[in-house]
Amino acid sequence: MARSMWRGAIQFGLVTIPVKLYLATEGTSIGFNLLHASCLNRIQMKVYCPYHDEVIPRSETVRGYEWSKGKYVVVSDEDIDSVPLKTMRAIEIEMFVNVDRDNAGTQFVKQAYYLEPEQIGAKAFYLLKSVLGEQGKTAICKIVLKDREQLAALNPFSKTMLLTTLHWPDEVRATDELSLPEDEIEIKASEKKMAEQLVASMTGDFSADDYHDDYRQALMAVIEKKVAGEKPEPAARAEPTNITDLMAALEASVAAARQDRREGKADVKAEAADAKAEAKAPAKRRRKTA
Amino acid sequence: MPGDQLDLSIPTTPGVSRLPARVAPMQATAGVAPFDDPDYLFEPWWPGVRALAWAEGGRLIRLQAEGMADALTAFAELADELPERLMADAVILDGWLLALDEGGWLDTSLLRRRLAGDRHAGRPGFVASDLLWSDGSAWARRSFARRRQHLESILLDGDRCVVSHALRGEGTLLAEALARFGLDALSARRLDARYRAGSAGEAWLRVPIAPAASTERPRLALIQRLPLPDD
Repeated sequence: MARSMWRGAIQFGLVTIPVKLYLATEGTSIGFNLLHASCLNRIQMKVYCPYHDEVIPRSETVRGYEWSKGKYVVVSDEDIDSVPLKTMRAIEIEMFVNVDRDNAGTQFVKQAYYLEPEQIGAKAFYLLKSVLGEQGKTAICKIVLKDREQLAALNPFSKTMLLTTLHWPDEVRATDELSLPEDEIEIKASEKKMAEQLVASMTGDFSADDYHDDYRQALMAVIEKKVAGEKPEPAARAEPTNITDLMAALEASVAAARQDRREGKADVKAEAADAKAEAKAPAKRRRKTA
Repeated sequence: MPGDQLDLSIPTTPGVSRLPARVAPMQATAGVAPFDDPDYLFEPWWPGVRALAWAEGGRLIRLQAEGMADALTAFAELADELPERLMADAVILDGWLLALDEGGWLDTSLLRRRLAGDRHAGRPGFVASDLLWSDGSAWARRSFARRRQHLESILLDGDRCVVSHALRGEGTLLAEALARFGLDALSARRLDARYRAGSAGEAWLRVPIAPAASTERPRLALIQRLPLPDD
């Protein structure tokens, strides 16, 4: 597995369990680079100062916090290092909560990490894991990751435990802005029964393996074709087509019919023979009545 | 092209139309079977409503459709597009009102709903096949070949308005293509005939097409000229 991204210890009362953290997920979105269209070279983002009207090196930049409109205070690396944090290098368990979907906003997750116990703390690690699992509890903890104190939930997962960083309550938006019905929606017993039946019929075990990012796969296929030098076909769009497309389709249909004739398909031959006979017939006979 | 449009200043007296109020449309004669004849221009018998369109002063002023009192309201989108696409003024076109579904295919049930007053049913289209008046003068006495040529030169294909695709001489080939397309008749117009009010005689035939072995409705893939998936 990849290198651990964090090394520290779970602090649980007086117990310290040294662990490593690994990212549990990876971004698989396809990255693009911006190129100059005429020469296909990578473009560069220059850092530009409009006051001095010049491009400046990144080393000449500092962090600024806008405390009032247009007013900044500079925050240096030293300032950031000096922030007193108890949770440095520790996963500090604050409390345990029941595993319950309504509990404490644990739904607002950011990122999942796998834990790997150092050998010396393995026993305590698995003791904690088994207690959490048997009692159906989640450990709520704090950890400093990437210069930021994070709220996290610790749960048993497979042969290890999963640390899931959570959004702080002030990062979670209220639902007030949504237009939700004020009154309780009236639901008839029969409707509810029908919905329950539908849910029951679609209930199963979730297996993430059954799901794929189709868009990514399709985009990758397009890119691979281009790499191989093939011109990608435009995919069938669901967007409405217009009447000129209809004419184009008709033209294509005529071309296909012509092609079939050239290839001399049997039934077409017969038809063409009929047509010849018809063409030789006097014009009058083409009409039923005058 | 909008630039060209701006040059179309119309030396008319305001309020006085250079076009007749009504025109008796030419009516096709029933044909027997598809044929080949270099004197004829073949095009699909579009499964729509036959309509004459009056455009004057940069506006679509009248849509005279079979059995419809107010086609202009029902096909309001055309009023926006057709005059924009016309490179001539004081024009009467002969053609078909159609309704397309989301896939761009002809849909007669959507057309019926639109004719019944549902202004949101499908997307409307106008396929022009003939020309009666242009720049305020009557073209009916000129040959269809000239009328059609002029029509092609003054109507630019748009999202909703096009000149009908047509084939000269090769009626049986078009019939084969249309059978796959799911259409059941073709239109055959004599290139040297003038536009006649009422019965067309030899000048215009509606020729039925024997249905193809496969009557499968063309899918979106065909409309967009893509290979069909192997399902």
